[in-house]
Amino acid sequence: MLLEYILLIIAVLIILSIVISRYTYNLGTPTLLIFLAVGMIAGSEGLGNIYFDDYRLSQNVGVIALVIILFSGGLNTKWQSVKNQITNAIVLSTAGVFLTAIFAAAFMYFVLEFDLLTCLLIGSIISSTDAAAVFSILESQRIKIKGGLSPLLQVESGSNDPMAIFLTIGTIQIITSPDSGIGSILLLFVKQMSIGFGLGFASGLILVQFINRHKFIYDGFYPVFLLASTFLVFSLASTLGGSGYLAVYISGLILGKYEFIHKRSSLRFFDGLAWLSQICMFVVLGLLAFPSQLIPVIGTGLIVSAFLILIARPASVFLTMVFSKFNFKEKVFISWVGLRGSIPIILGTFPLVAGIENANMIFNMVFFIVITSVVIQGWSIPKVATYLGLAEKEVQQIKSPIEFEPLRKTDRVLEEFIIPFNSSIDGKKLVDLRLPENALIVLVCRDEEFLLPKGETILHSGDVLQVLTDKSLIKEIYEKLI
Amino acid sequence: MKISEILTEKLISITLHPKNKDEAINQMIELADNSGNFIEIEEVRRSVFEREKLVSTGVGKGFAIPHGKTDEIKDVTASFAVLENPIDFDSIDSKPVKFIFLLVGKESLLNAHIKLLSRISRIMNKDEFREKLSNAKSPGMVLKLFTEEEQNYLDI
Repeated sequence: MLLEYILLIIAVLIILSIVISRYTYNLGTPTLLIFLAVGMIAGSEGLGNIYFDDYRLSQNVGVIALVIILFSGGLNTKWQSVKNQITNAIVLSTAGVFLTAIFAAAFMYFVLEFDLLTCLLIGSIISSTDAAAVFSILESQRIKIKGGLSPLLQVESGSNDPMAIFLTIGTIQIITSPDSGIGSILLLFVKQMSIGFGLGFASGLILVQFINRHKFIYDGFYPVFLLASTFLVFSLASTLGGSGYLAVYISGLILGKYEFIHKRSSLRFFDGLAWLSQICMFVVLGLLAFPSQLIPVIGTGLIVSAFLILIARPASVFLTMVFSKFNFKEKVFISWVGLRGSIPIILGTFPLVAGIENANMIFNMVFFIVITSVVIQGWSIPKVATYLGLAEKEVQQIKSPIEFEPLRKTDRVLEEFIIPFNSSIDGKKLVDLRLPENALIVLVCRDEEFLLPKGETILHSGDVLQVLTDKSLIKEIYEKLI
Repeated sequence: MKISEILTEKLISITLHPKNKDEAINQMIELADNSGNFIEIEEVRRSVFEREKLVSTGVGKGFAIPHGKTDEIKDVTASFAVLENPIDFDSIDSKPVKFIFLLVGKESLLNAHIKLLSRISRIMNKDEFREKLSNAKSPGMVLKLFTEEEQNYLDI
């Protein structure tokens, strides 16, 4: 195919995904469902008639997208809100994921009578949650979840993928080389987690230092540098036998915790990239699925899905959260936000690439389970939250019209000053204030109005000035306002 | 968001008897803690005292508006007190302080924080309003005065 045609198809699919999601947003439709649908409709059994069955390429797209999504997720995590929930999140994302996988596998083994390893493989693949979808749903409904639930679900979803990936790879290893004992699997686990965590932690700290110490020649280099570093961390960790996914997530978390040059523009850059990744990944996965092949697995898929949603996830949440402070309703909600997403579908391609028997059936099962989970849980989360009394009306996050981005570590701050009552400058022009050279009034706020500061602007007692200035001058400015 | 919406009766006191400025601010923070909004009260204390260190928030006419910003709170939080015995607050006009309004804003809601600061200082700058406040006999009456006064203002 000519490059122009390939680019044309990619461009049209991305644009369609974005435009359509704009109009389904108000219906609370999970955006990832739209992306998947666009891919499926464009596929060989849809209107687009594009034949695509390259599992290896899809897996590669998926892995690259995941690296970006996980790093961006870590970077955007607000450390302050998360730190109280760390223990719960770690328990949920390790023991919780493990239990979900085991419960689901046991159910399939005893009820559906699949062979044991296939059950373990499917169980592992569908064991991790995808809260990226959850939060997009909550935002579209303009509600907010009370207390520590949001940060918990956020960290859980970001950090539980490595566990699911490990379980899947481990099971595939048992299937492809049956003589590998339990000891070697355990060793694999310890290696994956410790190298992944250690490298992620170290790389995060090193990157913060490195960026703050070296001044790059162009502003645009900062996010690009971070992007390259992300893949460096991923491939380094994977090469050393660690979990690259865990490494990039932890690395992102650490970078998100500290201040570094051009942090804000980097956040935006990665936000855009993460969306691009989500769209590409789901459209490709949608293309990869053949709806006609999903039909035979509808029966078993529904049964497994129902078990996963109603029993496996709640049981593992209640078991692992026994010692947490959450009450019954909160645990029910955590259970309900066991949304499956992109990870299971990407993991679903692993058996295909590894050439495992039944791989096609496994992929289709997983695909179907994810869709039911997204449709049933995704759509109902806002209602469930309201029903359980855990939703509060969202306060719209209004940022100041002026944002301040430190270019390097400076002592410059954006500070608010109230003009005192009976101030000598009451009724005077702004220009007569004679502020120090390094102080700039960027905003004057008088009751509900933001005024654009000009030299002619008359100041009054009770006005609030927002001033960009050096920390050392703050006292001097206060004295000018008296 | 209005002042009368973030204040509730249990966040208003007319019976505080602080001995000095630091004690007054601490009592205001503890009063505001009744909201249940503070995730980390020490962080609130740190931000308010840090601001106070720069220049006193006693802006004059017997009014002080200690304030701070932190993300260790769930929502914008305030407390208000009318002191029976005005205290020295190191005010800009050196007058003792009778009215204290504590505002703790969120770092991520800077816009609302600035608007609230300016509304509070605007309202408290009115002589007749301060007069009415000093005659209030209960937190409920204080709240009613703020609600009435704010009817003339838009929602922030």
